Amino acid sequence: MSLPPRISLQRVCKQFAGPTSAALDGDVLRDVSFVLSAGEFVCLLGASGCGKSTILNLVAGFDQADRGEVLLDGRPIHAPGPERGMVFQQPTLFPWLSVRDNVTFGPRMSGQTAQQYLPDAERYLRLVGLQDFAEHFPWQLSGGMRQRAALARAWLPNPEILLMDEPFGALDAQTRLAMQELLTTIWQTIQTTILFVTHDIDEALFLADRVLIMSARPGRIREELQVPFERPRSLEDLVADPRYGQLKRNILHVVREEAAKSLVGEPA
Amino acid sequence: MRSEAELALLLPQQEAATGKGPREPAAPWRRWKYPLISGTTVTLFVLVWQLSGSLNWVDPLLLPPPSEILRTALELLASGYRQTPLWEHFLTSTARALVAFVVAIVSGVPLGLGMGLSPTLGAALNPFVQFLRPLPKIALIPLVIVWFGIGEGAKFFLIFISSFLSIVVGAAAAVLGVSQARRRAAQTLGANRRQLFLYVVLPNALPELFTSVRLSIGIGWTSLIAAEMVAASSGLGWMVINAGSYLRTDVVLLGIVLLGLTGYFFDWSLVHLQRRFAPWAGMDS
Ligand SMILES: Nc1ncnc2c1ncn2[C@@H]1O[C@H](COP(=O)(O)OP(=O)(O)OP(=O)(O)O)[C@@H](O)[C@H]1O
Ligand SMILES: [Mg+2]
Repeated sequence: MSLPPRISLQRVCKQFAGPTSAALDGDVLRDVSFVLSAGEFVCLLGASGCGKSTILNLVAGFDQADRGEVLLDGRPIHAPGPERGMVFQQPTLFPWLSVRDNVTFGPRMSGQTAQQYLPDAERYLRLVGLQDFAEHFPWQLSGGMRQRAALARAWLPNPEILLMDEPFGALDAQTRLAMQELLTTIWQTIQTTILFVTHDIDEALFLADRVLIMSARPGRIREELQVPFERPRSLEDLVADPRYGQLKRNILHVVREEAAKSLVGEPA
Repeated sequence: MRSEAELALLLPQQEAATGKGPREPAAPWRRWKYPLISGTTVTLFVLVWQLSGSLNWVDPLLLPPPSEILRTALELLASGYRQTPLWEHFLTSTARALVAFVVAIVSGVPLGLGMGLSPTLGAALNPFVQFLRPLPKIALIPLVIVWFGIGEGAKFFLIFISSFLSIVVGAAAAVLGVSQARRRAAQTLGANRRQLFLYVVLPNALPELFTSVRLSIGIGWTSLIAAEMVAASSGLGWMVINAGSYLRTDVVLLGIVLLGLTGYFFDWSLVHLQRRFAPWAGMDS
């Protein structure tokens, strides 16, 4: 890649305390290395429990690596910052705020005036289909609607880097497809860099420039592959493309191997 | 590539219920069902109580029936109990309690929040708070009399200290109740420490704060009797104790009914304040 890396992980290891004592529970991440270039859309694919959310937490700055380095533009990440937006695995809306106030939380924290952020906020609310629910409170929305509000909330501050943890997991197939298309459009308009966690191969192939496949625990980057399809993509064209089947087969093969390993258990 | 407008149309187009508020009013019967059940049991209870007196099942001296209590109430309203009108007993007690509650809330909530936010402050004060909170406040009466004399100060202190301590503990716990996910979401949206406290930790703690204030006011109201045992000559608590020593069970029961109703009213007001200012209590999002 000619572009300088925005995010780079170098031989990152992470452990957690075990359930009953302070004794460590074995590596969750072992020697994870990868880079994200400016403007890239990268999907992180892996089985449940392999450490995908852990990686996002390190990049977000919620947690620190035990060994190795997590760098943003070459500088170690120590704390969360607004240049790294995040959409969590579960929507984490604030129940005391209306949908509109939730969505505009970021710009309000950075001291923008309503004139500055409201037009964009209304646009995003419309895009995620919540224009009629701006005055509602989160608990009055369905799970999928809440996740869409959380997406709008993460998009509105135009973060340079967007970390997304299975954001569409709770959506039905139809909404999910619409949100995937919407996400690629928004990614191109606001020129952000995205690290997107998923365990859905089709989703990864539809969205990503590059897919990182993780091994079973302890998590490593097992395979890295370029997604060759030109943009804009449509799912119809994609599934008709012979390369799609080939790629999917390759990924499935790796995923199957890792799944088998995680069921047998980690070798000592 | 599809335009943004087209993309938005791909989404399922839910429509907000128009013309209705965010919460639909329940059907009339459902709305009144439980109040009606409560009303019925209370009416039945009062009826049986009345019959117990009218039919002489129980000696009216041991358990004066409601009619008797009502007559006592009217009598005390007209001529007072021990030269003090009934409404004055009532107002004296509620005023004592309200002043103590307000001071306890105004000082206890910030102190509790501070203890929750700062582990150092928490560690410094927790031993005292945890020691004093479960202590039966009646045990303090002799000391309180020595310190404050037998004036209003002593009564204020006893009510204040009981509610204050439990507000402090409740507020400290409420601050810690904010989930990691919410905290993190706010941080990725650029909230600094001050904003995190003002716009996330505090609103997140509000429902629990209301609950702990409710509990504390209950506890404070309970210690009214203890407070008015300190050489008072007015107040509902004093009236009950005094009437007891003259076997005026009708006055005792009247006092109990008034104490109970007032406590019930305090709690009811707080529930309504909570619904008004923290309607998201117990709601996930
Ligand atoms: N705070 C923690 N304390 C202890 N162990 C943890 C903690 N967070 C994660 N783990 C462990 O790390 C491993 C990876 O967790 P992580 O949440 O990153 O998985 P994931 O890949 O995101 O899985 P999923 O797809 O199910 O969300 C799990 O085995 C989990 O038990
Ligand atoms: Mg996860």
